[in-house]
Amino acid sequence: MEPWHYETAQDLELPAIERLRNFPREPDMFVYGVRVAAAVVIRGWLRLYHRMKIVGRENLPKEQSFVLVANHASHLDTLCLLAALPLARLHRTFPAAARDYFFVKVPRLIPAAIVVNALPFDRHVNVRHSLALCRQLLENPGNILVIFPEGTRSPTGEIQEFKGGIGMLAAGTAHPILPCYLHGTHAAFPKGSWFPRPRQVQLIIGAPRVYSHLPCTSASAHTVSEDLREAVLALASATLSQSETPQAKETAS
Amino acid sequence: MSPTQALASHVFLFYVSVAFGLLVAAGAVLAVLRWGLHKDVDHAWSSYRGWLILVPLALVPIFLGRGATITVFTIVAVFGFKEFARATGLYHDWYMTGAVYLGIIGTGLVALVPDPTDGKPGWYGMFMALPVYVIALVLLIPILRNRSQGQLQAIALAILGYLYFGWMFGHVIFLANAKHAYSYVLFLLFAVELNDVAAYTTGKLFGRHPLRSNISPKKTWEGALGAFLVSMALPWLLRFTFPAFFDVKDLILTGLIVGIGGQLGDLAVSVIKRDLGIKDMGASIPGHGGILDRIDSLLYTGPLFFHLVHYYHGLF
Repeated sequence: MEPWHYETAQDLELPAIERLRNFPREPDMFVYGVRVAAAVVIRGWLRLYHRMKIVGRENLPKEQSFVLVANHASHLDTLCLLAALPLARLHRTFPAAARDYFFVKVPRLIPAAIVVNALPFDRHVNVRHSLALCRQLLENPGNILVIFPEGTRSPTGEIQEFKGGIGMLAAGTAHPILPCYLHGTHAAFPKGSWFPRPRQVQLIIGAPRVYSHLPCTSASAHTVSEDLREAVLALASATLSQSETPQAKETAS
Repeated sequence: MSPTQALASHVFLFYVSVAFGLLVAAGAVLAVLRWGLHKDVDHAWSSYRGWLILVPLALVPIFLGRGATITVFTIVAVFGFKEFARATGLYHDWYMTGAVYLGIIGTGLVALVPDPTDGKPGWYGMFMALPVYVIALVLLIPILRNRSQGQLQAIALAILGYLYFGWMFGHVIFLANAKHAYSYVLFLLFAVELNDVAAYTTGKLFGRHPLRSNISPKKTWEGALGAFLVSMALPWLLRFTFPAFFDVKDLILTGLIVGIGGQLGDLAVSVIKRDLGIKDMGASIPGHGGILDRIDSLLYTGPLFFHLVHYYHGLF
């Protein structure tokens, strides 16, 4: 008799916790179910507790792989960005998360790997490897990456320098990069606080940018990162000019 | 089965003392080997850590009662099947795996509820008939999806998965409904694991002739013989734990079932693992591999023991 072909799971020899630390993770019915349920709850909570407003959803590409790039001041940021994406693409969305922060101890590992579907990203050592993994994911049509080019949460809420990694990913490729601005997450849940405050949160999704015309060099990577930072700042000032001044809003909350 | 009954049962107290004593003794031996004689006991130590998890995982639900036992063992069956699905590739098909999960949970429920015809614990008739319904459901799935490509393999794996983790493991679960549940369940768990340990130990000490070289490279005839002798002797040594109506033929047959069936169960799963090209079914249990790696002998001997008891003496 001809032998059958068995598609054994790639991570079979790993115990459950190690499977979560590993990437890519094998699809798992239980995990997918928990992720969807959590996504529904989180979206409801963002809408009710944070009165979240999302602008610019129409900018999201329908079927291509793309990257969402945003300012980073709070753990809420990833949740807000995920809430803007269609549920159907939940399991193909990979927010980059610092491996040294989210993938070491179990209490952070469980929400990172299961709820957020985070991609372990090496911030300090082996950045090249992490970027290569991101590139691989984008080559596969339909994957969405979420990246915070500041590399860490801003302690003051001000938009810090954008690291070159996103530029290396974008320069010379045809994948759309969407600059996004998140307003209010720093006020709601800044670095160091334990429980989110009921402040309003807004997400503005900008028009997609493509950098295929640029060569794949570190100089153009720098240019791209700068350009994206400018784009996010532009979205920020457009938002603020529509509401009260930032200072007044901060003192009020 | 209930906590008060457990504390009053000499059978339950005996097995708990033996388990506790063995864990303490094994821990002491390992400690002496490691820190006294500075031997490398990493493999044995990780195996011991696995036992530290498995023994309470079995004994605590049995102490808590029939409901807890059936529930916890059904959950183990679900996760055991999940490993099987990941190892064989069936996990890619969510409908098939979903159907088998339903079957396994259904088996647990059927063991839990009383028999509608006579009120005895566990609906025996439905339990024995359940494979019919699960197979019917599994066969229905490709028809509903209008699909035939690769479906024979999916159907075959799903049915095997249900029969292994739902029905055969279900026999062990259903034993919790017996009048002498402590005698049967605790003996079975203890005897089967002792059979495995005896095979491993005798094999390590005296093993020379490979048993089934194409299936399991480490097993030897000497190991099998050692395990067989231990398992034949054990029912006599533990005769006081069995109900009074357990006679000589029951003791002999029990010895044969555990002594031979235990080895066969292990080899049966080894056949599957060899064909898949894997070493262990998973890594859930530190030092032991996957769930199926630990319960493979139990799945084979459990149903045979169940029907031996039920045929000659009735389970209730």
